[in-house]
Amino acid sequence: MPFNIAVFVKPALNLNLLKIDSEGRVNIEETPLAISEYDKNAVEEAIRIKEKYGGKVSAFSILTWGPVQKRISDAEKIAREILSMGADEFHLVIDDNVVNVTTRETAIVACSLIKKIGSFDIYLAGEYSQDTTSSQFASRLATLLGIPVVTFVNKIEIQGEEAIVQRSTEYEIVTLRVKLPCVLSVTGEINQPRIPTLRQILQAKNKPLIKYDLKSLGIDLDRKNIKHEYLALQVKRKRIFIEGKSLEEIADKLIDKLLEEGVIKI
Amino acid sequence: MNSSIIVFSEEPKRIIYPLSFAYLLKSKLGENLVAITLDSEIKDEIINKGIDELVLIKKRALLDQYTTILKDEITNKNIKYIIGSSSNNDNDIISRIAAYLNIPLFTDVYQIEINNENLILTRKVFGGKAVSKISINKEEQIALTVSAKKLDIELKSKTKIRYIEELPVSNVTFEKVEKKALSGVDISQAEIVIGVGRGFKQKEDLKLAEELASLINAQIGCSRPVAADYKWLPEDRWIGISGKIIKPNLYFAIGISGAPQHIGGIQDSKIIVALDKEKSASIFNYADYCIVADLYQFLPVLINKIKERKTK
Repeated sequence: MPFNIAVFVKPALNLNLLKIDSEGRVNIEETPLAISEYDKNAVEEAIRIKEKYGGKVSAFSILTWGPVQKRISDAEKIAREILSMGADEFHLVIDDNVVNVTTRETAIVACSLIKKIGSFDIYLAGEYSQDTTSSQFASRLATLLGIPVVTFVNKIEIQGEEAIVQRSTEYEIVTLRVKLPCVLSVTGEINQPRIPTLRQILQAKNKPLIKYDLKSLGIDLDRKNIKHEYLALQVKRKRIFIEGKSLEEIADKLIDKLLEEGVIKI
Repeated sequence: MNSSIIVFSEEPKRIIYPLSFAYLLKSKLGENLVAITLDSEIKDEIINKGIDELVLIKKRALLDQYTTILKDEITNKNIKYIIGSSSNNDNDIISRIAAYLNIPLFTDVYQIEINNENLILTRKVFGGKAVSKISINKEEQIALTVSAKKLDIELKSKTKIRYIEELPVSNVTFEKVEKKALSGVDISQAEIVIGVGRGFKQKEDLKLAEELASLINAQIGCSRPVAADYKWLPEDRWIGISGKIIKPNLYFAIGISGAPQHIGGIQDSKIIVALDKEKSASIFNYADYCIVADLYQFLPVLINKIKERKTK
């Protein structure tokens, strides 16, 4: 039985290229974007379900980091990467009014977008985004859609109209049976995301990438007055490379340093 | 009608964290405080200390059942704040409630301040490389989940107790549960931690790190792949944003390249030593003392040197 699968991908800040200004603030506007790590696992899982049972994978993104004009090409690049992996189409929301929103608004926009496009059997997302790690999108989306949700899923098996999923939390692994349609958030352990081949990258150029703004979705977003300030945690490290003619000499120097620092006792 | 703060945790012993944040809010803003959790011995510790009403659920439930119970408790009430612990389960349940009420939720908040008009909430973001300070008018209805921290605020008020005997229906079916094998050691409290990573070729080789650990009285932690993918060590040894955040005097990273997810968990360490054979490993950007060497060659030498000094 083929499945219609929706997968959500966050264009997140690239944490390896975080820009910090002279006052110790994160310069969001100068920090490039990247696909949020675990969302790739969600895409991979969506493609695997499609490969096994047939169906279609529709990917969705909402650009929440500005400035919008500067980010469009980054967001499109992310979309093409997901399409190269094997998603069939990509729906991208770009609008100044969704910049710097909280997950409350992202889930509202996602829900409206879904309702405009159609309905799906399975909705997938990563367990949390790599930048803001709020870990609430899947549960919020399911609540707005009025369907069941299971978070932190590290195994999915489909049996007829149901998914049998393993949910992994701090202390336990719970196996649950949930009726479709449902929302599932997946962990980084569920699979190893594929790397697209050159042929797939070329093919992806012809797949549909559809852009929306809030007006075209008929959304009048009531934003709360919330101010966010992002301060870099700059821990100054000594970064001393201990070198020597032999490993013995290096070991001795290291032990001396640690004794000097008073962090070990011998 | 007086507005209320609702505190919830599906795990009774974790309720003390959201409770202590609620005590702070109640002491400054004078709200009515309702706590909801699973029935357990914890009730004796928390009654008559600031909770006005304690609602105890008699049976362990599934997440959507807890959600329904919470919805019933908050419907037709004037609720100002909803606070849970930042466990995976509480985050999930509070997210559903926040969506139901159409209010913002801030997860994993570790600090809360109240100034004239606003609440200022602090949480870690960007893989532990930054903190986010969020300011929002204190009259705004919000939900929070808070990370482990107990504040020293003691209140007194008589607690009325009410029980929920029957569970609502669930839309998922429970099949089975498996407890994770955990070491039971809390590495977040250790003074010296040795972190092992993918530089180790097989599980048996971790003996090298264990020998070093016993010599310097360290606890063993690890990077994400060692716990999550290879399963060489239990998950409570996993250091990083989705594992444990550590703050030892000495952190010694061995064969760990330094993924952002890992760095986010070690930045509160006083001194960081890194050993890796690749000079370009990103861990060296976050270390005080850096050693570029093959761990299989260097660790035996280091172990011998420490033993020599101990016998002197």
